[in-house]
Amino acid sequence: MKCVTVLKRLVVGAALLGLVSCGGGKDSGGGETAGGGSESGFARGKTLYLAGSQWGDPNTFNPLAESWQAAWPVNDKFNLMYETILSYNSLDGKFEPLLGTLVSRDNDKVVVDLNPNAKWSDGQPVTSADVKFVFELGRRFPGAATAFAIDFISGIKVETIDGGVERLSFMVDKTKRNNPLVILDHLQAIRIVPAHVFEKLLADNGNDLGAVQKLKIDKDPVISGPYNIEHYSNERIVIRRRGDYWGNEALYGGKLPAPEYIIHPIYKNNDHFAIALQKGDIDASQTFMPRIWLKKKDGVSTWYDDAPYFVPGAMPMLLINTTKAPLNDPQFRRAMAAAISYADIKELAVSGYAPDVQPGLIMNQGLEGKYFNAEDAKEFGVTCDPENAKKILAAAGYKSVFKSDGSLDYMTDKAGNKLPTMSITVPAGWSDWEAMVKIAEKGFRAAGMDIREGPVDASLYWPALPSGNFDLIMHKPAASVTPSLPWNRFESVMSSRNWVPVGGDNKMNENQGRYNSPKDKGYNPKVDELLKKIPTLEKEEDLAVAYRELNRIFMKDQPSIPLCYLPEQFYEFSSKAWTNWPTSANPYAPPLLPMVGASTKILWGLQPAK
Amino acid sequence: MLKQYPTFRFVLMRAGWYFLTFLVAVTINFFLPRLGKNNPVDIIMGKAATGLSNEDARKKEEKYLQEFGLAKVGKDGQLLRDAEGKPVKAGRLEQFGNYIKMCLMGDLGTSFQKYPKKVVDVIKEAVPWTIALQLPTILFGWIVGNVLGALAAYRRGVFDRVFFPLALILSSFPFFVFGMLLVYYFAVVLPWFPAMGGYANSIMPSFSTAFFSSVAYHYVLPFFSIFLILAGGQAIGMRSMGIYELGTDYIKYAKWLGLKEGKVLTYLFRNAMLPQITGLALSLGTMIGGALITEMIFSYPGLGMAMLTAIQNNDYPMIQGCTLIVTVSVLIANFTVDILIGFLDPRVKAGLQMGKGV
Repeated sequence: MKCVTVLKRLVVGAALLGLVSCGGGKDSGGGETAGGGSESGFARGKTLYLAGSQWGDPNTFNPLAESWQAAWPVNDKFNLMYETILSYNSLDGKFEPLLGTLVSRDNDKVVVDLNPNAKWSDGQPVTSADVKFVFELGRRFPGAATAFAIDFISGIKVETIDGGVERLSFMVDKTKRNNPLVILDHLQAIRIVPAHVFEKLLADNGNDLGAVQKLKIDKDPVISGPYNIEHYSNERIVIRRRGDYWGNEALYGGKLPAPEYIIHPIYKNNDHFAIALQKGDIDASQTFMPRIWLKKKDGVSTWYDDAPYFVPGAMPMLLINTTKAPLNDPQFRRAMAAAISYADIKELAVSGYAPDVQPGLIMNQGLEGKYFNAEDAKEFGVTCDPENAKKILAAAGYKSVFKSDGSLDYMTDKAGNKLPTMSITVPAGWSDWEAMVKIAEKGFRAAGMDIREGPVDASLYWPALPSGNFDLIMHKPAASVTPSLPWNRFESVMSSRNWVPVGGDNKMNENQGRYNSPKDKGYNPKVDELLKKIPTLEKEEDLAVAYRELNRIFMKDQPSIPLCYLPEQFYEFSSKAWTNWPTSANPYAPPLLPMVGASTKILWGLQPAK
Repeated sequence: MLKQYPTFRFVLMRAGWYFLTFLVAVTINFFLPRLGKNNPVDIIMGKAATGLSNEDARKKEEKYLQEFGLAKVGKDGQLLRDAEGKPVKAGRLEQFGNYIKMCLMGDLGTSFQKYPKKVVDVIKEAVPWTIALQLPTILFGWIVGNVLGALAAYRRGVFDRVFFPLALILSSFPFFVFGMLLVYYFAVVLPWFPAMGGYANSIMPSFSTAFFSSVAYHYVLPFFSIFLILAGGQAIGMRSMGIYELGTDYIKYAKWLGLKEGKVLTYLFRNAMLPQITGLALSLGTMIGGALITEMIFSYPGLGMAMLTAIQNNDYPMIQGCTLIVTVSVLIANFTVDILIGFLDPRVKAGLQMGKGV
């Protein structure tokens, strides 16, 4: 016994040594600078805790890696280490200056002036060479993460204007996509990297981008943003304020961002975000927390004090495979849309975090609300009305056979043929989506449509989506609020630009439901015309007309069924350690964590709690 | 051959069998994840291709196929293509050959999902936490459970009547329910212990008392979530074994001879422990796989989560790497116990000496 206990102690000791060595090995970048002295750790009053943007181990901090591979804050469009040229304010739709300022935009070009004060952390200025490097990387390497940019931009013209300011003209590629709108998306999403650093890395690695992408770039990287990587492990990522960040002078009147450290803990369980926020262990999170009103007493706050608590921005929906009978029948699809209880979805699946959903693909809220037309929605759209669903089905010749206990047995089409049971593909374990699908299923079956929930592993969900290998599938296209909304959403659902039939290795990365086949005799060329035209329209009146027409077609054809409006990001915060978070009463920044786009300025607005 | 060295022969034969098992296991580990229809690049492309044109998406997909060694590459470093211009997929046998070659060189490859992280690095970072959580819990739970179980069997009376139902309840608790209850009561209702993590977020990992006390503090709830249930289960097993052994002739004989109680208890314990040792070996072997549920409930670092995401995403190199070390540790643990039992169990020893082998 004794011997075993001693042995146990030895083993624990050895294991702890192992923990230290694996945790400590990585902070060689700035080991001894650990904040407030490594003994006492990071003082709460100087440290901001953010969560929900990094799931799983941090793998690489390489800005040239794919966004899904890179770790926070190098992934997504976070502006803490590498910065974009512009930042987009999703509240007022304005472009705010960052590395550059928007000068003008027309159908030929988007013009920006680079900020002459912008500097890399090694003291070199941020120049047009850096911008060209990342935007045109796709011309040199087809596999570059930003290769999609060259489909839109034919070239970047540089001229030097007064005061040595570099004026960049992003030329619209008229032969390819001819879409200045998406160029604006890119300007607020593609982060600029230091060309002088990466050109050298490329040269050192035999001009092999793949080899450069394998580098982790996690030790004292050359960045332009206000925070740099300090330490990371599989449990958290720590970044530290840079005293010499160029933007403090140039953008914030000499002020420093309030938190000296930002720590992003990595949790493995959704409940931990809520627990940590309630305990004041984290300051803000972007995760779905059910029944948030119960957490208010513990200091958890949201944008609005009352329902819907969040600002809507995205539209989870049921995509329909329009190549399969009876789903190829617009009447059947409209009947489906009429059978779903959207009120139940709102209350039961998403805790009421959404305003009422409207027919069509345009929200009646936010920036796109100006394109929403209530009369059209009434005339062309269907709303929840189970009796109407039954009526539409009966008029189109569908018959439902119910069992003696009142549950649905099967359905027949016009010719009297029995229809197969259809299923709704949804990733198992995505609880809010599963709840939405369950409610939809209930409505479908009550109206006599033989459709069931089909939960699959996420590893089957992702391949099913582009291949069209589904009857109905849950999807959230255009998940973030960008300058190109709502065009982007229409494009994702209705475009036949790359239309290929289901089968073989065929994949579509938009319109996965294969709506509006160009080879069909029922092809409606108007849809693709409008999708091509809208990005080039400059007058609001023209845009309103075009969107109205497109939305009418959507409502008539119903290629997908939006289920509710959800926020772009669940923005929840606690004022226990930091105050002055933006809210609907104090909307100085959009409701996003203080690292996304125009919300990065929250870092300069926060105040330590007394 | 080797007849005059039965012990050595026994060890050698066992080793041979285990090596064979190892080869079969490694082969299964390789082919099993590849039996499904979907390949890992499809899963990645689902996330990476949104909004890309077909042409761009195809280029990206080919890049991944090449990087991950799932397509054949010609001498010029370009992908080999078939008549339709599609990349030629690498055959399974070819991949298997590569895998064996890399394994022998100690390289488990690069994870697809955690690209560009090496599988070896992922394992190296996670395994110390897994061992630190599991080894003491399993050993301690095993020892405490067995001692209490033996006592309950021998003493009976009030101790047993209170202890046995308690152990029964504990052992039949699912890990995750028990863990969540612990979090709820001891981290949320009574904020005595932290609810999650391996150490406080505000502390840098270092050789400092602050770090180690933080680790110890965060260790309490995960430890008890496994320990109590494990000890309960072990105690029940030991108690039944003990009661069975109490009724055997040799114990009756020993008592009849008037041996001291302590001596009788030693005999009893030694015999009743044999099946328990086998159980211990199994749990020690599988412990490397990680306590997935414990990791999730406490956001505790470890290999379990890495393995789960690898399997969910068909991350072949990661699955292979994890299953390889699980296989190796299970085999080593079993081998050790096999040998140990040979020495501990007089029946096995007797069998060997009579030349029957095992």
